[in-house]
Amino acid sequence: MHSSRKNLRRRCARLRTAKCRVHILLLFCLTPALLFAQTYDSAAPVPILTGNAGFFTNVQAGTPQIVSEVNPVVLLPLGERWLIESRGAFEGDFQPKDGNGPFGGSVAKELDYLQADFIANPYVTVTVGRFLTPFGIYNERLYPIWIRCLQPEPLILPLEEGSSNGAMLRGGFPLNPAVNLNYAAYFSTLTTTNGIDSDRDVGGRIGFFLPGPRIEAGVSWQKSLQDERTNAFGFHFAWQPTAVPVNLRSEYARSYAGSGYWVEAAYRLSQVNFWRHAMRRTEIVGRAQQLFLGQASEDEDSEYDLPSANTRQADFGVNYFLRDGLKATASYGRQFSSAGDFNLWTVGIAYRFAVPLGRAQ
Amino acid sequence: MRFKILTWIWILATAATLGAAADPPRTNSAATTAIRSDAQADAMRIEGEKRFRANCGRCHAAPHKFPPRMMATIVRHMRVRATITDEDMRLVLFYMTQ
Repeated sequence: MHSSRKNLRRRCARLRTAKCRVHILLLFCLTPALLFAQTYDSAAPVPILTGNAGFFTNVQAGTPQIVSEVNPVVLLPLGERWLIESRGAFEGDFQPKDGNGPFGGSVAKELDYLQADFIANPYVTVTVGRFLTPFGIYNERLYPIWIRCLQPEPLILPLEEGSSNGAMLRGGFPLNPAVNLNYAAYFSTLTTTNGIDSDRDVGGRIGFFLPGPRIEAGVSWQKSLQDERTNAFGFHFAWQPTAVPVNLRSEYARSYAGSGYWVEAAYRLSQVNFWRHAMRRTEIVGRAQQLFLGQASEDEDSEYDLPSANTRQADFGVNYFLRDGLKATASYGRQFSSAGDFNLWTVGIAYRFAVPLGRAQ
Repeated sequence: MRFKILTWIWILATAATLGAAADPPRTNSAATTAIRSDAQADAMRIEGEKRFRANCGRCHAAPHKFPPRMMATIVRHMRVRATITDEDMRLVLFYMTQ
């Protein structure tokens, strides 16, 4: 009897201590958050759910493929200097089974990035977590389906590592009124977990942007710190002339697995004098590209999702912007390689959504 | 001992928060209050549109304007993603929220 009372008293004491700890923890967590909340003004940023969704039908070498894709992006601003951002990728690829049967396939799921950004000052932003590897411009900026002008990805994209897990410093600032400099430097750790995998490497990118003539050029570099400890480098160039609504973009990449380039031109028909309403919403696109395989084995080529032989490809496409964030797209491409030439048709629709997760006004 | 450590962390976190709040980076609200006249606002709007077309047009077509608080988040995201400069970010934000 005496011992059971003692136990009860001990339990009560433990409960009181636990309660006290919970209160301290709450105080610890909430005080800074409340102070941040007090600094908000009417234009304080609000969390957003954005991203894109698309539905495409591809016919590659006579084989139809249905692709449905959703890429939700969550943006969570904290205070004046922080941003937590994340993008997931859910892509379903469905093909006829045995070449002629009902469509079947799988849905691939991946975390493209989940990063915390701290805007330290006007020159430096510190990023930690999983982020898009800053190599070239396509992977970081042109990859989303509502942004890219042609839905088929460039052949050299597998040479540019998709995502890295680690830390990065980046920023952009004017060198003088005519030139802006932007840079990114990062290191990444080896992660083998499916869906969030990354290699162990270091790298960086430096670019110059001339706001007057709207010319951008830059160079990227990456050093692998595992396996063969290889180097990769690349160049990018972009130009949007002010006189005509043309977008010219190009990338070159060279790595252990291969080398290649793509050159793309997109022309918005807003200056055409007939059917103005429709022409203003129409964009025509052309792209030429070439890939030369490197020293990687056939298994590695397959792992990187590279073609099995040196390849050339030409694509032509048209985009029609139905409304803000919604576009219909179609393209035709022809691929030439010693493994066989074939046509690549794509037709589909891409939509960008953005929803505030709080009061937006 | 643990309580002491927690208390010190809490004090430091609160002090850091107060420090950050007292010295915020230049934001849209700061830019707005700095405008003394309509002429200045017009000049900022024109410059903001120019910066918008130069920076945002590098990757995508011009979107419709979003509500101010959404725009503040989007511009912060684009500052990191597209490494646009601090000044460009402020001017684009001003243009997109007017």
